[in-house]
Amino acid sequence: HEIYPLNKCLSGQESVELNCKMKFAVYLPPKAETGKCPALYWLSGLTCTEQNFISKSGYHQSASEHGLVVIAPDTSPRGCNIKGEDESWDFGTGAGFYVDATEDPWKTNYRMYSYVTEELPQLINANFPVDPQRMSIFGHSMGGHGALICALKNPGKYKSVSAFAPICNPVLCPWGKKAFSGYLGTDQSKWKAYDATHLVKSYPGSQLDILIDQGKDDQFLLDGQLLPDNFIAACTEKKIPVVFRLQEGYDHSYYFIATFITDHIRHHAKYLNA
Amino acid sequence: MEEESGEELGLDRSTPKDFHFYHMDLYDSEDRLHLFPEENTRMRKVVQAEMANESRGAGDGKAQRDLQEEVDELVHLYGLEDDHELGDEFVDENIPRTGVSEYPPYMMKRRDPAREQRDWRLSGEAAEAEDLGFGGWGSAGQCQDLREAYRYTHGRASEEYECYVIPEEEDEEEAADVFCVTCKTPIRAFQKVFDEHKEHEVIPLNEALESAKDEIHKNMYKLEKQIIEMENFANHLEEVFITVEENFGKQEQNFESHYNEILETLAQKYEEKIQALGEKKKEKLEALYGQLVSCGENLDTCKELMETIEEMCHEEKVDFIKVISVSFYTNRLGKFLKTKTDVEISAQPEFEDQTLDFSDVEQLMGSINTIPAPSAPVINPQVPNSATGSSIRVCWSLYSDDTVESYQLSYQPVQDSSPGKDQAAPSPPIIKTEEIRSCEEAVLICWESGNLNPVDSYTVELTQAESPEASGVTESVVGIPTCESVVQLQPGRSYIIYVRALNMGGPSVRSEPATVHTIGSYFRLNKDTCHPWLTISEDGLTVVRSERRTPARELSPSDTHFTRCVAVMGNLIPVRGHHYWEVEVDEHLDYTVGVAFADVPKQEDLGANCLSWCMRHTFASSRHKYEFLHNRTTPDIRITVPPKKIGILLDYEHSKLSFFNVDLSQHLYTFSCQLHEFVHPCFSLEKPGCLKVHNGISMPKHVTFY
Repeated sequence: HEIYPLNKCLSGQESVELNCKMKFAVYLPPKAETGKCPALYWLSGLTCTEQNFISKSGYHQSASEHGLVVIAPDTSPRGCNIKGEDESWDFGTGAGFYVDATEDPWKTNYRMYSYVTEELPQLINANFPVDPQRMSIFGHSMGGHGALICALKNPGKYKSVSAFAPICNPVLCPWGKKAFSGYLGTDQSKWKAYDATHLVKSYPGSQLDILIDQGKDDQFLLDGQLLPDNFIAACTEKKIPVVFRLQEGYDHSYYFIATFITDHIRHHAKYLNA
Repeated sequence: MEEESGEELGLDRSTPKDFHFYHMDLYDSEDRLHLFPEENTRMRKVVQAEMANESRGAGDGKAQRDLQEEVDELVHLYGLEDDHELGDEFVDENIPRTGVSEYPPYMMKRRDPAREQRDWRLSGEAAEAEDLGFGGWGSAGQCQDLREAYRYTHGRASEEYECYVIPEEEDEEEAADVFCVTCKTPIRAFQKVFDEHKEHEVIPLNEALESAKDEIHKNMYKLEKQIIEMENFANHLEEVFITVEENFGKQEQNFESHYNEILETLAQKYEEKIQALGEKKKEKLEALYGQLVSCGENLDTCKELMETIEEMCHEEKVDFIKVISVSFYTNRLGKFLKTKTDVEISAQPEFEDQTLDFSDVEQLMGSINTIPAPSAPVINPQVPNSATGSSIRVCWSLYSDDTVESYQLSYQPVQDSSPGKDQAAPSPPIIKTEEIRSCEEAVLICWESGNLNPVDSYTVELTQAESPEASGVTESVVGIPTCESVVQLQPGRSYIIYVRALNMGGPSVRSEPATVHTIGSYFRLNKDTCHPWLTISEDGLTVVRSERRTPARELSPSDTHFTRCVAVMGNLIPVRGHHYWEVEVDEHLDYTVGVAFADVPKQEDLGANCLSWCMRHTFASSRHKYEFLHNRTTPDIRITVPPKKIGILLDYEHSKLSFFNVDLSQHLYTFSCQLHEFVHPCFSLEKPGCLKVHNGISMPKHVTFY
């Protein structure tokens, strides 16, 4: 019998959505030994794998204290042998953008949205001591975008959402335009379905409490890839509660994440342990 | 697909067959050796256990050396050198037998010397038996205890062992049975006959044993006593130590205040003197200047006249004579020459020597060495059953600030009439209900004396309101010297509080009651701190800033109320722990809420200094701006839904101040603040409007996460 807390990396699960073997990381707190715990999903950013978060972010103590199971999937399907998948770091491998692609040659494998919102939770619920009714989601950069759209497209599914330096308005930034045109084609109406700023404008659902941390010295912020102002304006308009913190002296790195991860975990624990 | 057994995961459910684990190379290098993570943990546990054993072993060795040194020290200290057998054998025996960690370092191991002395005279069995009886050492009946120990282990009648220390079985072996005093060694009886011991004094073994035992007991007793003495002494030293600190504190405080007084007086004198000199100078200069001016005028007039005269001299002789003899002489020149010119200098250049009066400073300096007389103690009311026909027990309380050398108790018999007839009991005090402040653990009550004559002390009485039938227990706090008191309470209850006044005539009746609920923290807004443009409601919880039609005039600075920032403070109970309250605001209102120290500068804005922490909302051009201010700095935070009710949590324990949107259970921001003194809630209105405070409520669950 195993001794918790426990960090595992699991692989070899053949994903139905992604048609390849997918890896993911799971952290089980001591509390999981005696009962079911709420689940917190973390979505990583461009070029990351399922390992970056568990080794660099320092979330373990906080997750342990609040008794949360943390799950971190990979950022895209791998080894699918699709032509062009490894050509750039911001498209293809390691850059799934958490969408369900509709264009060839991506549509068979690049279905990260369904994987994250449907297949992975089912797998986790069936095999680990988690409470299927209590789930939250957060992420960094592209993963921040992923967390926001998963929550906004599924009102009530997630108890809370938060993000570090998220890509808030992909239809208007270079990364988003590149990824969406590749995965979704040229019809921009399809793009909006995966854009947090647009989704907020028509969000009908129950209260969401969103926490966003953004490094002030983040190069990508300055390059116009992240566009948080647009998201904040839309949330203000629609009265979606957001607390957005611009952190002086921080950039886009895992050091930034590690510094504020405790605040985010507490934010989720407040709703997951209510 | 690979097949893998479910045991690997060790979970209740069976794993799908296609899971398998792979090593994570991102962990520490030691993990690289192992393929499966759970093996890791097992291995690590084994390694750790081994290491712990090793360290313990190493620890023993070290302890051994330490113990040796300590023993040598103690031997020295306790003057046991003559009993050197004691010292020597000590070291060897101790270590393997007794656990090093069991005894505090300075304690001698009482068992061992005795055991050691015996071991070479007795068998091992007997020695073990002794261990059991060791509980009784240090008392007079040591030998008795020892015999009892034998009785206990060998289960024989006491009489049999009165004289024998060696159990029967021992006699059959070839053990020594007499003792050679000269050689200090046990020998067998027949050996006495042989050369070595022929001339030597021999006594029965029992006797030798007894005397050896006695000696041991005496030594042990000595050691015991000394241990107790040293322990007591150490305790006493500690107490003295603490008292020294306290006394130092008092002295320091006393001296500091005196010294400051002197410095202030000197500074004042300096100012006064300088000012006076300055004025004198001004006077003199003005007088001289005045003279100078009139001198100048005089000169001008003279010159003018001269010119006139000169002109006239140049005219025809006839006109000349006519003019000067008539008009000129009678008028100007004559008059002018008649006026006396004042050539006395009006102001002397020297300043008179003024002796300064330093007598008050001298007095202060003299008084710096005096010890303040202590305040009068308060005699506690007479306790029932404390008096007999000829004696009485008197108790009194003392102010902790005083240094007291002794007390003088004096008494005089009162006239025949029973106490109370000579002096009437006081009237009941009046509790100032609108000034009550409370939190979950305490209440601060203050009251008016209710008496013109001085009162000896006050008593606060409280009962819990929930159990009226039981008319429960009444707690009393007696001997309160002033008209206020902080009383500790239990959280989540309601209390009814009364106050009585006491004097020689006895206690007053109870005051009118006041009710206190220990739910959340309760406070009212403090009118004394209120900016003149604010009005506070009757219940002390709402503050209003009305529209002003007349232009504002500059308000003179004040130490008590705000003069620039339109603010007011609350009176929070000065008790640490945590406090929570809520403020209802209007979305379009410009307001500031937070906490500040009581001495925050009243002519500055809240948050503009390091004595206040607050959240400020500004609404302009349809945009909401939120700032979290301390020392004029704020983090960059944007909030999309403006709060209508703000929850504020003040946590002294963790030095944090947190703000929440109550309706959404949303956390807004948390300050880390150094709270070396008590702080009070503060509120300000930058535009006309109103703020309503809700307090006396318990913390909502979402707040407890922070």
